[in-house]
Amino acid sequence: MKLNTSLVTLLTGLVLGAGVLVTSAVWPSGTSAAVTSPGGAYGTTSPASPVPAATTAAPTPAASPSPTVAPATAASTSPATATATATAPATAPAATSSTRQADVPSMADYVSQVKGGGAAVAISVHGDKAVAYICNGHAVAAWLKGSAVGGTLNLTGKNGAHLSLNYRKSFAAGSFAADGTKYRFSAPLVHRVSSVLRPPGLYEATGVVHGVMIKAGWIVLPNGSQIGSVEYETGFSVLPTAQAPVLNLATGTAQYDGITLVASPISGVTGSGF
Amino acid sequence: MTAQPEASSPAPVPVSSGIGKLLIVPSLIGGLVAVALGIYGRLHSPTGVVVNIAGFTSAGYVKSWLATIATVFAVVQVISALVMYGKIPRVTAPSWIGMLHQWSGRIAFLVAVPVAVNCLYALGFQTYSTRVLIHSLLGCAFFGAFTVKMLILPKRGLPGWALPVAGAVVFTLLVGLWFTSAFWFFSTFGIHR
Repeated sequence: MKLNTSLVTLLTGLVLGAGVLVTSAVWPSGTSAAVTSPGGAYGTTSPASPVPAATTAAPTPAASPSPTVAPATAASTSPATATATATAPATAPAATSSTRQADVPSMADYVSQVKGGGAAVAISVHGDKAVAYICNGHAVAAWLKGSAVGGTLNLTGKNGAHLSLNYRKSFAAGSFAADGTKYRFSAPLVHRVSSVLRPPGLYEATGVVHGVMIKAGWIVLPNGSQIGSVEYETGFSVLPTAQAPVLNLATGTAQYDGITLVASPISGVTGSGF
Repeated sequence: MTAQPEASSPAPVPVSSGIGKLLIVPSLIGGLVAVALGIYGRLHSPTGVVVNIAGFTSAGYVKSWLATIATVFAVVQVISALVMYGKIPRVTAPSWIGMLHQWSGRIAFLVAVPVAVNCLYALGFQTYSTRVLIHSLLGCAFFGAFTVKMLILPKRGLPGWALPVAGAVVFTLLVGLWFTSAFWFFSTFGIHR
């Protein structure tokens, strides 16, 4: 009699495990539906928050993320701030101290959806530099840069947009703040599965549409869905941000208003875009 | 939080046939479970793809909270076992203590299963740091040890120490797992969802 109950417990665990395994296995092929945070792939939900202003300002020469970083922005957390070396000496603030070094990757890519906003974020760390992009497919798009010190990022973008992040091998978590609103996210490391398609990660493209410089950014999520935004850099103070055209993951291109955008990856692992 | 990698095969191998048989076969099966999990975790290339649950920022937090829940129920396990064995002074075992012990154990186990599947499927058996290595070893050993515990549980004629030792090993492994995962996770990335 008791044999049954304990065996039943084991078998129940086995069945449950198999169920979770199957769910995980079929997960990537589906769209990022129901169970993920609200607002799966494209901008069907609106975050209803004043973030967009984060991107709307100071026209820049549409450059890809360049090393002209303001290192002083890291000063708020780490005592060993701006002296970030490529090996990132372990000087992180809080948290545990042991095994830190082995856990902090020198090159890594993370992508994730942002909790409750229908937005996604991509973070790429390459040595002591880092780039992040956050967008929601229509109104929100922000590029941020900064330095990586001991597993901690403090990145800044236009209009005071700020992203802080703790990252380790296999995982990163942090928050993005703009216009007084803070969004939390956590992201698993992107694994590069061999495929003919472009892998999950961050992509950007620039082009000229009707004489206006545009800059598009896409975040391709691990499940294959993508979120992208286009910024117009007109020189006016109010810059519209629009949904990016679908990025063809086989060719790495997108059609937008009559021109072909060729997307290039920004990856800390491969170093492209840095 | 001591590392007890192959704790799943602590069979004492007594010469007298009866007791030995009672423990050896379950221990071997448990050992096989642990090794099989380790081999799967090592050979299967981690996908990084994980199922997330609404309301959490990502699966890492889901896992950390589930692991914490499992550990809380495991503490209930130890306390209820101590009560059952009369090891807590001036506390007589109430009639429902057996039920509490059984169900807290079942819940702890069933809550731990999705965490383990997620770990093995998305991350795999890793060795890149001491924490991760210990966690990987403990994780495999835990499910082996739990299998042993479940298999010997219904047997008659076990030596008196068998179930307490098995339970203690399972508990120790789980607490070690929690410290090397959820505790580390919360202290590194912050406590929230």
